[in-house]
Amino acid sequence: MGLVAIATGKFLSSFSVFLFLTVLLMVVARRISTSVLLFSLQSAIITAEVFAMGVREKLAAAYVVGALVLLIKVIAIPYAFFRLVDRLKSPRDVKASTTPTQSVFIAGAMIYLSYAAVHSFGQTVHVPEDALAAAVALILTGSFLMVSRKKALMQMLGLLVLENGIFLAALITTFGMPLVIEIGIFFDILVGLLLMGIFTFRIRDTFDHLDVSKLRRLRG
Amino acid sequence: MTTVINVLQALILVLGAPLVSGIVSKIKAWIQRRQGASIWRPYIEIAKLFRKEDLVPPSASWVFRFAPKVLFGTTICAVAFVPVVHPSALLASRGDFFFLVYVLALGRFFLSLGALDGGSAFGGMGASREALVSTLAEAPFLLGLVAISILAAHADIAGMVMWTLQRNVFDISAVHILAFTSLAMVVLAETGRMPVDNPTTHLELTMIHEGMVLEYSGPSLALVEWASAVKLHALLALLISLFGPWGMASTVSVWGTGAALLLYLAKVTVLMILLALVESVVAKLRMYLVPDFLGVAAAVSALAVIFTTLVKG
Repeated sequence: MGLVAIATGKFLSSFSVFLFLTVLLMVVARRISTSVLLFSLQSAIITAEVFAMGVREKLAAAYVVGALVLLIKVIAIPYAFFRLVDRLKSPRDVKASTTPTQSVFIAGAMIYLSYAAVHSFGQTVHVPEDALAAAVALILTGSFLMVSRKKALMQMLGLLVLENGIFLAALITTFGMPLVIEIGIFFDILVGLLLMGIFTFRIRDTFDHLDVSKLRRLRG
Repeated sequence: MTTVINVLQALILVLGAPLVSGIVSKIKAWIQRRQGASIWRPYIEIAKLFRKEDLVPPSASWVFRFAPKVLFGTTICAVAFVPVVHPSALLASRGDFFFLVYVLALGRFFLSLGALDGGSAFGGMGASREALVSTLAEAPFLLGLVAISILAAHADIAGMVMWTLQRNVFDISAVHILAFTSLAMVVLAETGRMPVDNPTTHLELTMIHEGMVLEYSGPSLALVEWASAVKLHALLALLISLFGPWGMASTVSVWGTGAALLLYLAKVTVLMILLALVESVVAKLRMYLVPDFLGVAAAVSALAVIFTTLVKG
């Protein structure tokens, strides 16, 4: 048992490092489909962390949550996104307002900031520092993606990344929320995605494009 | 005994190099559902070129003849710094990673000079592009290695590999991930692989490396081709030894070395498959986007250096 505990603990901290990589790749991705694939990969890493937490803390509920994350964030949401991109028939470009190099530097600064922010917290409370920093970094870069990308679809994706960060932070600090609340949150995400999907169709139909920076006048 | 192993390592890198490029193009052919040429074809081509006449343009000076030899010599010199099966190398105690980076740069400088000296328009174009790419790739290459060497507190490659070898696989830090990402991008740019340059064709106005070697023929061309194959193999081996050296023989014994060699073959096969996949999936970047690609690599490697303060502190 001792060995398993050590292995899962190591796993939790070292695999969150891969989350940084997905974040960095996501801010340089030039196509929507690449970003969606990266989001799926990111969720898969988080699924693995949920299962590792379940093994370490012997929580049966964690397996249910892990299965839900796998089903919804790794498979269902990316699939829905691909369908959406297909049906919208809009150009594949994400329309970034920063160059890739600038984006990497901004994302890097955010990662550094999140490390600095959790450093004092991690010493008082016994949590894996890398994982908590990854959670904060996901929240920050999620909001950065929402602000800096002009495509309406990328704003949905940014929100989902942000949500991944909040989920990971809850998992690391409190070993996950109660199962009922977790299921409620997943339901929220699905409904939110549905609404935003409808909205993008409406935006496209009224304005003939998905560029939110050009939405300046009311149109009925 | 260690010297024997070190000589063996250099021989593996130099003599195995054409096989590596042969296998990569075979895997690419399979992905494109073609039969592909034999994996031994690069050897046959090099042997054939060595038997042919060396044609030199009438306007070319001695630089043109001299350049392939310098390129091959510097590449061999760089190979002597890369550990393969044992965390040591032939010249490991004679120089650090700065030397490795700049000895490769010296070879490229002479190849560009030779291309300019050849006098064809394509040579000049290829040389100017090569200069652009290598200038931009230099910073991420150096910074990625600097990050690892700060962690390991060693400046020579063998010392860095030794340090990584003593660590646990689970102890990978953000620094390693970032440095690996940037160095992998640099390897693609340095060896003229797909998102930056297309190694398979002469028929594009976008060519970089192929444009430079257009005027070469016979033994000179054989040296250039062999040197670029050796460079690819050596950089792959460098990636393996810096980021995944586990399984290298830590003691000097025949069995340990044999096992380490088998493991090395497995690792290099994985990297070759990855390389072929990247080359088949990714489209070639427009020339004006190459600075963006290398800019991202530079940003990632700068981050890796910054992160060393976090990991240490």
